[in-house]
This record gives sequence, structure tokens and C-alpha cells, in this order.
Amino acid sequence: MTDFFDKLIQEEPYTQYTLDMFSRSAGKDHAEIKQFAKWRELVTGANKYTFEVPHLGAQTPEISVRRESGDEYDLVSFASYNYLGYSYHPEVIQGAKDALDHYGLGATGSPLLNGTFQIHKELEDGISDFFGQEDYGVSLFSSGYGANLGAISAFIHKGDHVVLDRSSHASLIDGAVLSQGKISLFRHNDAEFLEKVLKRIDYENSRILVCCEGVYSTDGDYGTLRDIIDVSKKYGAAVLVDEAHSLLVAGENGRGVCEEQDVLSEADMIIATFSKSFGGVGGCLYAKKKVTNYINYYARSRMFSCALDPGVTGGLIKAVELAGSADGDDRRKRISENADYLRSKLAGRVDIGTSSSWIIPVIYGDERLTLPLSDYLQKNGIDISLMTFPAVPKNKSRIRAFVTSEHTHEQLDVGAEAILKAAEEYNFLTE
Amino acid sequence: MKHTPSDDLIVWQFDFALTTFFEVETDQFHHHIPSRLSPMEVSPGIGLVNITAFNFPAGGMDGELPEFQELIFSVIVSPDLSRGVPKFAMYVLSLGSTCQEHLDHSADFYKLPIHGLLTDTKINREAIAIDYSDADGQIVAMNNCSPQTNFRDEERYFQAFTSDGDDLTIADCYIEAPLFEHQLTDNAGTLNLHPFLKNIDFDLGDPLPYLQMIGRPGDIGKQFYYRPSKF
Repeated sequence: MTDFFDKLIQEEPYTQYTLDMFSRSAGKDHAEIKQFAKWRELVTGANKYTFEVPHLGAQTPEISVRRESGDEYDLVSFASYNYLGYSYHPEVIQGAKDALDHYGLGATGSPLLNGTFQIHKELEDGISDFFGQEDYGVSLFSSGYGANLGAISAFIHKGDHVVLDRSSHASLIDGAVLSQGKISLFRHNDAEFLEKVLKRIDYENSRILVCCEGVYSTDGDYGTLRDIIDVSKKYGAAVLVDEAHSLLVAGENGRGVCEEQDVLSEADMIIATFSKSFGGVGGCLYAKKKVTNYINYYARSRMFSCALDPGVTGGLIKAVELAGSADGDDRRKRISENADYLRSKLAGRVDIGTSSSWIIPVIYGDERLTLPLSDYLQKNGIDISLMTFPAVPKNKSRIRAFVTSEHTHEQLDVGAEAILKAAEEYNFLTE
Repeated sequence: MKHTPSDDLIVWQFDFALTTFFEVETDQFHHHIPSRLSPMEVSPGIGLVNITAFNFPAGGMDGELPEFQELIFSVIVSPDLSRGVPKFAMYVLSLGSTCQEHLDHSADFYKLPIHGLLTDTKINREAIAIDYSDADGQIVAMNNCSPQTNFRDEERYFQAFTSDGDDLTIADCYIEAPLFEHQLTDNAGTLNLHPFLKNIDFDLGDPLPYLQMIGRPGDIGKQFYYRPSKF
């Protein structure tokens, strides 16, 4: 293997660097920008730059992309979060077109002041009805990132505490930073460790928010919500569950992992992202109405951003409606079957970690393989997301396959074959 | 990189190296860092400190030094990328050694902050573990916490910041040795509340390792450590 990496670094010198190495530099000059430019030049010069490759059509399971070099590839996509295929569903598109015709392109104002349209109220009602709980409300945001940022920073203040799962998404972390509360982390999905952390806080006199997720996108595993909520409540902490990767998909009725683990009424705040299973863009907080009413005023990322654009809002209303109908039931069944099918093709041959959802990681290990591997997979017919150090530990870099309800078994076979072929080429077969 | 012999370069040979980066609340050490440097954080409020233990066989500095053990305690800070792209940059807080001559030289040549002599140093090469103490008692017991090893024989570049009076200095340091890097977060040892470690409370005796770098037992590694210059 050493010979392999010696050769790799000699032929492709950019592989010895990871992106964290250019994150900042001491000194007055922006040396990090210069060094990053050098690195990017090396990668693009080798035609291995696979970030931000433009797609030439909708996020369907089969896509075409064009690289900076002008090379075009027809690929089976495993990189989109369009879990239920709603981004290109004809009824969703029609809903968006109708709203666009009626309301115009943009909301052109903050939701609190002049940017709220009747169609936003319809989306709030649609989501509330979808969950079906009394006295709950919805606060809309123009992104999922903004929803976490705004909800946490309005709920927690200097002197308070935010306790986060170590695998938390950046938006939860950034929300905690913006809040100026004291940040603590607990080991991933470890309720016992969470209890240790909570015990160290003066919990009887402190406001505490515990943040976790329904499904974690790094490992594709479920949050242990029941245990986390039980421990949190014992110490008087509120709980926020980010269902970005799970709402509409998990649970019998698509109400997320909170429904699946029977904690829907115990989670104090649920965050949804509209850019994944909803097929659009934006996000929301779902919580008791008195909480959402407050957040509507005090979440800075909502107050100082334009409201959701009407076209997207119209499409989202339709997506929620479909997800709550037999159509949603069918798609949830298919995505689950598809994920099991792809897992069965990969399990035992490559390391798929602890995945139990529609996100299937394949751990290839060495971070130096990331760009060559991404290039190889595109050239072998699939578009797939790669995650590397420092987002994951050293030697734990991974491919992530995002399975959708719309993949066919033939497309899943193409994905499995390409991954296994790459595993053979880059030495990460486990069998 | 090609290293040309000069008065500004000392090549140190070592036959044991164990280094661990531990997570610790930034508030606990931020006041030890000059204002021109900023700590690298793995998450908001959580920075990294580094503890490195070396064994240098007899013959260092043109045969002048006997075999000795060294312990370095530093904070991971933003590097100076105008000099190149290092794996890490550190600001050194404490240096300990079993050799007074080595300490004197380090203070003079490298401007390293000398804490004092180590009085008891145990190295378990088989387990890749150390246990180092000084007159104030045990400083650290540290062990490899990965059951598997995969050594990579390559040169790694680091930067070391130190203070020289009111000035800040920076030195380039290259390690050429088969090293294994891992990020398993198992038990990596005990860090005591100790002046050498600036009395930092490492998570109530349960320190969380972020990264370990381990030299291959039995191999001789080289450290190309250049004279620092004003930053």
C-alpha cells in the first residue's frame, strides 16, 4: 500500500492535502487563499475537480453533468437528497407554476413585515395538518440552515447551555455559536454520556437545549431519540430534533423519526428542511404555537431574510399533500426497499458502517483517495457524494449513497457495480 | 524536501515517538497564547493541545548528548501558510527533558519554554506507551489507543511557534519517519492537573483524544528542526 500511495502522491500531488489545511493562516496576508488557489489549480489541471459540477437537468436518478474541462458524463445519481422524487413530480411543478403565475417571482420582503403571502399561511397549515397535533405551529425560514440558526439563537442566550451530539450538522453548531450560549458536546447517540454532560451543568438553574438529529447523514444511522429525550427531560432540558434527512420519509405516516420512536409530542422543537424529501428549498420550525409565534419575531435569520419565494412555496404545499397521501405511503415503501436492496448488494463486500436508512456510507478509509476516487466513479457512471477528513475521522473517509424511492433496481445495480469495481481498484474491498 | 546542512538546521534522530492531540475547552488555555495567534478548534469552544513524548538515543548534537527523553506540551494554532502548508502548527507551552544540556540548548537555540527536568520516564515500546513525571509528580501516562497500525513512511511538515520575550518566533520542523495516524477515541491515558500542563483540567481525568501519531517501534526517525525566526 505504501508503494501505491507513494505513486499516488508523485503522480497526483494534490492528494496529500486535505481541505482543513487551507482553512486559515496566521499573519496579515491571506496566505490561505493563495495556497488554496495553488491546490485548486493542481486539481483542475489534472481534471480531477469534481466539486460543483453543474447538472444539465433535474435531479432525477439519471443525470448529465459537465465538468470545468467541458467533459460531459451521463450518470446514475446517488448524490441527491431528493429522497421521494418530489422535486420533479408533475403535480409539484404545477403547484409551483400556479403560485408563480399568481404571486410573481419573489416575496421581496421579510416574512414579519411585508413578505408573507397567503400561500405561506397555506404551507404552514399544510405542515401543521400533516403532523396533526393540537396547538402546534410552523415558523417558515428561507433555508434549513436558517431554521436551525434562527430557532437556536432565539431560544438560547448568553449564560444558557446548548448540548449537541458530536455528529451534529454545521447549522446546529452555528446556531449554538450565534446564541452565545455555552456549548457542550456528547458522544454520538450516547445518552449515558449526555447525562454526564448535563450533570456537570447547574441544570436546576440553567436553561438547556439538547440538539440531535433524526437521521445522521454521515453514517446513515438513526438518532436514539427516545433515550436522549428521556435523559434530557430528567434534567429539565428542552430538546430540538433536526429531521432534515428524515421528515416525510421516516415513520408510518412520514412524520419522521420522532413518529417512528413515538416521541413526537415530547420533542420541544422539530426542524424540517425543504431541500431534501420536500424537493424544494427552505426550512421550518415545528413547535408549540406559542414558541413559533415567539421565534417568528426573534429569529434573526428569519427576520432579516426574504420570505420563501412563492413558486417554491406552491410546490412545497403540493409535496406535503402528496407525502400525506397514498402516494407518500408508496414512496416510503419503495425507498425503504431500495435502501435494503442496495445494502444487500454491498454488505459484506465493503464497509457500510452502521447505516440503517436510505443513506448508505461506504468507508474507503484513506483521505488521499477522495478526489481520484470521485473522478473514477464519475467516469464509471455514477455521481456520488464523498466525505473526508476533517468532516469524518482520519482513515474513515467515505462514499455516501443517497437512495431514493425513484431508483430502479437496474440503477441500483449500476451503483453497486461501480462502487465494488472502485473498491477493487482502490483496495477497500473487505471480503 | 531536500534539507541542506547549515548552522540553522539540527537533525535529531529518535527511536520512539508518541504524540496525542487532546480536545480541551479553549477557555482553559487561550490566555497562554499570544494575541497574534488563534487556536484551531474542532468545534466551537473546543481546541486542541498536543503532548509529544520522544526518546533520543545517545549521540545527538554531534555526539555531545547522552540518550534522553523529552516531553513537549503545546497548543494547536493557525499555521502561517505563507511558508508552506503544514499538517499542524503549534505554540509550545512547556518543554521537559531528562537532559539539562538539552534543555539549555533548546532554550537558547529554539527559544522553547523550559519547564524543567523530568525525573522519572518509563517507555513501554511493546505497548507504545509512556509514563513521565517530574518533581511535582506524574505529568502524563499516555498510550496508543488503536488496536491496528498502518505506518506511512513519509515526511511531514509542522510549524512551531514560541515566544522570545515580547517577540513571537516561528520554526519549520519536518519529521521523516514511518508514522501511524489515527482518530480512534478510546482511552489514551491520564493527564494530571500539573504545572507542566498549565494546570488544565482535562475533562475530569477522562481526556478525549482527537488524533494520535505514533512512530514505528524499532525504527529510527529523523527530525529536521530549523532555527526559529521572528514572526
